[in-house]
Amino acid sequence: MSELDLPAWSEPFTGGRRSALARPLPFEGIDRTWAFDGSDGSGVTVAIIDSGVERDHPAVGGRLVRSVRVELGGEEVEVVEDPEAIDLVGHGTACAGIVHSLAPAAEIVSIRVLGPDNRGKGAAFAAGLEWAIDQGASVVNLSLSSKSDAMFPVFHELADAAYFANVLLVSAANNVPGPSYPSLFAAVVSVAAHDVADPWTWYYNPAPPVEFGAYGLDVDVAWREGGRILATGNSFAAPHVAGLATLIRAKHPGISPFEVKTVLAATATPVG
Amino acid sequence: MTEERLGDDAVAALRAIGLRAESARRLELGSAEAVLRSIVDATVALFQAEAASIALYDAASDRLVFRVAAGHQGQGVVGLAVPPSQGLVGYVYTTGQALALSDVARDKRFGRAFAEQTSYVPRSIVAVPLVDEHGTIGVLEVLDKRDEAAFSLRDIELASVFARQAAVAISASRVERDAAALLEAVIRALVQGDDAGATDRTVGELVSQATASLSGEDESRLWPLVEQIARIRQADPGQLALVTDLLAVLATHAERSARGRSRRR
Repeated sequence: MSELDLPAWSEPFTGGRRSALARPLPFEGIDRTWAFDGSDGSGVTVAIIDSGVERDHPAVGGRLVRSVRVELGGEEVEVVEDPEAIDLVGHGTACAGIVHSLAPAAEIVSIRVLGPDNRGKGAAFAAGLEWAIDQGASVVNLSLSSKSDAMFPVFHELADAAYFANVLLVSAANNVPGPSYPSLFAAVVSVAAHDVADPWTWYYNPAPPVEFGAYGLDVDVAWREGGRILATGNSFAAPHVAGLATLIRAKHPGISPFEVKTVLAATATPVG
Repeated sequence: MTEERLGDDAVAALRAIGLRAESARRLELGSAEAVLRSIVDATVALFQAEAASIALYDAASDRLVFRVAAGHQGQGVVGLAVPPSQGLVGYVYTTGQALALSDVARDKRFGRAFAEQTSYVPRSIVAVPLVDEHGTIGVLEVLDKRDEAAFSLRDIELASVFARQAAVAISASRVERDAAALLEAVIRALVQGDDAGATDRTVGELVSQATASLSGEDESRLWPLVEQIARIRQADPGQLALVTDLLAVLATHAERSARGRSRRR
């Protein structure tokens, strides 16, 4: 925590603070060449749980293979096909574009949980996550989280279910103080932004809950209606780590979520 | 109609609501707007921004409604209602994720849409959720730092923490305003079926009973907060109390920004 008592999940990854991330124990033999050299993400499916992904956006490279949305009708929550593949915000397309830029051959599945009706958004988000786990996505990018106490057990169960089903959840840390699920659960890869303009720079922070710092300051991202914009936030850092995890899982089929996390830590940008 | 007939739980509930109603009285009704205004004024000062605005979610219309704005370029947005499913403000509200966008004009569509709504195209925007104990209630948006092209990660974090404080103040003022009406409605429901002619008098008595013992009580940490908000209202136009509280934060922030700048270049 900083002197300002900010949540400041980015703090350990920025400027002079980074020197504290130096690790006493290097992982011998695990380097970036071994981890993902030659990998383009082929064979791996990445689910983007967000505002939707524009199928025709150049940044997505035609790799969007499926698009669904969560519909809430009273007590019923339903996941339905979303053939239009729209994004009313641009954020989901930004995340998909970042993943595609790192892992161009990976298949992308969009799960739109932000729609015209946002009542019960925590429930929609949970339903989208459950669907992604059921479908066996290799990597799931979550730029959302819920602060609702009622959702704590739901997301806790889903985070465990994903872990046991060999599904890697990559979640953007939230900047707002207080609990935030599932981004602060141990089973997920929680990511905050650092201030180095390089998608191949990422840091490992041995002090959880936010264990990874990735590119998230003034990132040139895809935005709605074919556009692009410079964007800043933890939610743009997470898809960078999702992309890296995709490369690792493509090159090493069968590698488990905790092993991916370990490889990400071992190959993180050295400090000090 | 006596307290005994209501049962302990009902009396406890009435006392709790009465506490809030008493707060509403101390604040005077309609103070929520003043609290909002003080927050955006302080935000503009804190960030040296061209504009700041607050949109609160209105459940009845399912829209985020811009309630107040401050700064030279801010006023055009007041009254604007946007669906929570769309755009930057909608995204921040629904996801609770703080975001910043810069070089906004480069995306012509984005800039045009923004200008159509607000008659001002910013260079950069930071939008953070207003989160109270129960969830996200709205969005605080800040446009254009006067002396910098974009918002930093630290700006987003600072705005997020500031928005948290703001949300607590907003919900305090809002809950108390609503509580007075709620108290009356609850009591009316409880006494229904009794002597209908005596209802109005009974309601009045119960409200008095529920709140009579509160004024001198020091048991709740609510009162300092209430007094503070009340003071801020009277401090217009500067809303000095809140700004004073923020000066320490501002000073630390300025110092850090200066350090950050010299480090980057």
